[in-house]
Amino acid sequence: MSDVLVSARGLEVHFPVRSGGALRRTAGVLRAVDGVDLDIHRGETLGLVGESGCGKSTLGNALLRLVEPTGGRVTFDGTDVTGLGRRALRDLRRRAGMVFQDPFASLDPRRTVAQTVAEPLEVHGLRSGRRERAARVGELLELVGLDPAVAGRYPHEFSGGQRQRVGIARALAGEPDFLVCDEAIASLDVSVQAQVLNLLRRLQRKLGLTLLFISHDLSAVRHISDRIAVMYLGRVVEVGPASAVGAEPQMPYTQALLSAVPVPHPALERSRQRIVLRGDVPSPADVPSGCRFRTRCPHAFEPCPGVDPALQPVGAAPGHVAACHLHGVVGGPVEREGTVASAR
Amino acid sequence: MTAPVLEVEDLRVQLRTPRGTAHVVNGLSYSVGPGETVAVVGESGSGKSVSVLALLGLLPARTATVSGRALLHGEDLLAMPADRLREVRGPGVGMVFQDPMTSLNPMLTVGRQLVEGIRAHGEVPKTEARRRAVELLGEVGLPDPGRAVDRYPHELSGGMRQRVMIAIALSNSPALLIADEATTALDVTVQAQIIDLVEKLQADHGTGVVWITHDLGVVAGIADRVLVMYGGRCVEDGTVDDVLERPAHPYTRGLLGALPDLTAPADELATVPGVPPAPTALPSGCVFWPRCPVRADPRCETEQPPLAVVGASGGSLPHRAATWCAEEVSLV
Repeated sequence: MSDVLVSARGLEVHFPVRSGGALRRTAGVLRAVDGVDLDIHRGETLGLVGESGCGKSTLGNALLRLVEPTGGRVTFDGTDVTGLGRRALRDLRRRAGMVFQDPFASLDPRRTVAQTVAEPLEVHGLRSGRRERAARVGELLELVGLDPAVAGRYPHEFSGGQRQRVGIARALAGEPDFLVCDEAIASLDVSVQAQVLNLLRRLQRKLGLTLLFISHDLSAVRHISDRIAVMYLGRVVEVGPASAVGAEPQMPYTQALLSAVPVPHPALERSRQRIVLRGDVPSPADVPSGCRFRTRCPHAFEPCPGVDPALQPVGAAPGHVAACHLHGVVGGPVEREGTVASAR
Repeated sequence: MTAPVLEVEDLRVQLRTPRGTAHVVNGLSYSVGPGETVAVVGESGSGKSVSVLALLGLLPARTATVSGRALLHGEDLLAMPADRLREVRGPGVGMVFQDPMTSLNPMLTVGRQLVEGIRAHGEVPKTEARRRAVELLGEVGLPDPGRAVDRYPHELSGGMRQRVMIAIALSNSPALLIADEATTALDVTVQAQIIDLVEKLQADHGTGVVWITHDLGVVAGIADRVLVMYGGRCVEDGTVDDVLERPAHPYTRGLLGALPDLTAPADELATVPGVPPAPTALPSGCVFWPRCPVRADPRCETEQPPLAVVGASGGSLPHRAATWCAEEVSLV
């Protein structure tokens, strides 16, 4: 059994950009995910960070084929999922769950909590008898810290944090190996965020889950992750152990991102050097040549516009890789063949 | 000491709701000096947004009852007739709302909306107002302001829209700027740009700032003074160092413990069990007692604790907390 549960190679999700007029001609290509190589190991929590629009949610969706990749490959437990038929895809969806951002929009307001949590059981034919199903729903609610007695209630009777627990219970119903949490704590209050973070961590240890934790909140990602992957404009630009990426980021983008995260210590916050990036993120429909970060990079130099950097080992920690010419010019202007972000 | 820009005294807001009267703000007092930044922190439902909307007369008059005083340079905002209040919004007080996606008019260009604000508060010719609009967009760091001025909001990113909102709020160099979760929807990199911008404007114009946020990291960076709200009350206030480094109220301690810390990763986060109280059914006694892990005083459930000085403050401001349990807490 391989150590890698989920793996992406050269994964691309491109969307056509249509012009306004009646003919709706394709005017360009929006490169939401643009050549991502990434391995997620069994039993780990991989944090995926980046600014809005960098493609992190699309990447999470593409791994579960909730959006269709337009190029590259995704394997789940050794099976290529890019070519799966409907039946096999359904089995994948049982083994890979998703917790969504908005606990107000991702639960059907007309279904009770029991109906919502039991739906995956019905779809996958997991518990046949009605009583068995009810028992399993009770088990799942208990697992996420809800009183099984609430099973008959409707979503509007719950707070945001409780709804997110229901969403997690639903995602766990099919006994998945892999869980994608897409901004799962973004809409919650600070004190409730902590409850959900602790819950996810406990569940992961108890059930041996593999977690992809997508968030723009770097403090939360640093807290919950074993490894961190940083995305910029559709590409993974740095991956490594959470401690190494958090303490010694090697790619200028990661450095800027981390330096901009405010910390709740006044003295420290006053003395910290913030790297303020110039300008805005370029449009994914018009990606800069070479290194895509070069237009905002404070260290950009000659090779950056011409050579698209590949991920290469950086820093002292094993398994820490970054795509940056400051660590030696590696990569090609057209096709990238290079280190894969999986070395541990 | 210079006269404060804003002095709020015993502000109270009640809203009539189908579920009964909501006591959203229950006796809030604070002042903001020139160039000073006061951060109002708290979770959703703590009353922080309503407390500033009340200052500007932006609550629906049919359902909201506002009492207390809010002196802007000595003039009471709450007692002002509507036309005087309209004159004051702009040159007196600028406000940046949370959501840059919905607080701009999608039908008008950015320039039109800026010019509207500039011309509403002074006899400025159109061309001069437009020139000023371009200048302001440049000041808030919008790339290519000469072209951006003719764009519609949908053509701009979230960060750019928020900067337009700030440009509008600053267009009349207000004495007071109120920022309600102004950077919450933005990426940290853009947030850093906006904070730098506001700090620069404060230094240039001596603007007093009320910064409403739930992000204690942002507070640590920008605030001189912090006011922690819970259940519509101020439960703790003091200098930013006192409140964040030596929190006295169990709620403030809970909030800080619940934050994942980038600089000091912990295994398990402390949590505040339960959820904040509904403003229609506030508990008697200390407003925090149903969730309080300390609850070490017989008065907790029956008597409301006053905002009282706790410990010696390092700064010029008293460090105060409304709790019966400050001592027990500080021993922990």
